Amino acid sequence: MNQQLRLTTPLLIGVALFTLANLTGCSALMPTPKPGGLNTRVYTANESSNTVTVLDGDNYKVMGDIDTLNYGAHDLALSRDGKQLWVTNLANGRVSVIDTDSLKTIASIYTGTRAHVVALTNNNKHAWVANITDNTISIIDTSIYRILGTIPVGKGPMGIAFSRDGKYAYVSSQDKMVNVIDTTAHQVIKQIPVGPNPHFLTLGPDGRIWGTNTGSNDIYVIDTTTNEIAGTVEVGPAPQQIAFALKGTIGPNAYVTVTGLNKVVVVNATSPTLSIREQIDVGEEPNGIWANAVGTQIYVGHTKSNNVMVVDTGTSQILATLPVGRKPIRVVASR
Amino acid sequence: MNDTRTLFSLNALPRLTRQFLSGMCGIALCLGVVSTSQVHAADELAANAINAIGDFTVFRTDGIQEQLEGKGSLPLYEGDRVKTGKGSQALMEFTNGVQLALNEDTDFLILSRWEQSKGFTRVLRLATGEVWVKTMGGPKPLEIETPVATAAVKQTEFNLKVEPDGQTTLTVVEGIVEFGTAFGTCPIRTSTISYGNRGKKCTKPAPTNVSPNVAWTQGIRQ
Repeated sequence: MNQQLRLTTPLLIGVALFTLANLTGCSALMPTPKPGGLNTRVYTANESSNTVTVLDGDNYKVMGDIDTLNYGAHDLALSRDGKQLWVTNLANGRVSVIDTDSLKTIASIYTGTRAHVVALTNNNKHAWVANITDNTISIIDTSIYRILGTIPVGKGPMGIAFSRDGKYAYVSSQDKMVNVIDTTAHQVIKQIPVGPNPHFLTLGPDGRIWGTNTGSNDIYVIDTTTNEIAGTVEVGPAPQQIAFALKGTIGPNAYVTVTGLNKVVVVNATSPTLSIREQIDVGEEPNGIWANAVGTQIYVGHTKSNNVMVVDTGTSQILATLPVGRKPIRVVASR
Repeated sequence: MNDTRTLFSLNALPRLTRQFLSGMCGIALCLGVVSTSQVHAADELAANAINAIGDFTVFRTDGIQEQLEGKGSLPLYEGDRVKTGKGSQALMEFTNGVQLALNEDTDFLILSRWEQSKGFTRVLRLATGEVWVKTMGGPKPLEIETPVATAAVKQTEFNLKVEPDGQTTLTVVEGIVEFGTAFGTCPIRTSTISYGNRGKKCTKPAPTNVSPNVAWTQGIRQ
């Protein structure tokens, strides 16, 4: 009898502890409150471990990993209120929705074959997902997780960004084009020729759309008033992603991860013509990049060494290196 | 002779180790229960095709193609794509009690959505063609996506037709269907019709004669 008690008591304690941890939403992952509302939580999408790693971007600590309940976590989009994190899963064509309070996956939606990137509309009502093999964009209602429409686009959609006013969506595709979509009609109204394997797209602080030609060595900007290319600059082989930050009084600058150089290349984002300001040595195969809300730090993910480096943009020094999941493709941070 | 001890016998271990392992097993058991929650059910039966007239083909996710001719039972799974040819029809029953007939030149995918709060919802992605749907035996959550709209139902009978350009026509025979595009949602009730077009909200429901929308299913449902 005593023997049974000795064996069953710890079992019951184990069950109770686990239940408590679940009910409280995994307290080990809870963020440290910081005054001023500037807590920076950083997320990485880890393609080979099917997880999202959560980092404390202010104290440079790993908070934990979240199972996406899918395969091939690739891209991330964080809602404006920071409550929902949308994750594309390249391998099984689904999107995971993570509740950032409980740090758990709360929904899984099939969008299409090789779901690549996700972007939230400016009002956050819809999530747009690019499906590479299907040559489509799926439009999901972010409140009920229901797909409400599909837009056919060019071959192999790769990146999505919206204009400031939300009237246009820009979708890069493997046929060396950026497709301009009228968001009021869900129709492609123009194709802008760019370079080989155009990949990442983002809205810059100047209101222009910035993109990388990953199959080449340059980046480009699109003027959203004319929907024409407004400038290009060579940054090095296989440019990946772009974030915007400041170097003291200088900036905003575009910080571009360049895989072929193992560097972050800093481009002047304040003048109509693009020029390189400096290059920062980082780790092997930098890919995802994001800046904190005030533009003083950038977070750079490395797909080879499976870590994120925190770079102080004032001095261009590396402040910390944090381990994340396998093959981190995308990095985003709270606003 | 009486030595029945095995390599993994708990009794062979010190008491504290036994207690520790026992506790860990408790945690692992709970983790196991939670982690078995799948968010896609590729290997679970979704439906059975039970009748086919003409050309009816199932395209499995691994590229295998199977066909049903006449009455029978062809299992259908998550990720399967089903197609009917010109002048062909098919009838299937989903495991949750939904009956669905496919008219000619129809093409759809069997999918699902998972939500922590609701579990699985069966989703059909209708690329083109026409389907008639009837839920049986109480409310059955089901959604049908088209290129421009989605029809969400629980307990109803309706007909949905998709043109090659994506234009979608919903006719509700009985019940209520939540019909939505990215530009707005319209509840469509018994004996009314609504259209979904790209870039527009679904049209206001208009009264219609639903008989033709059921008549085409008579042959396949016999």
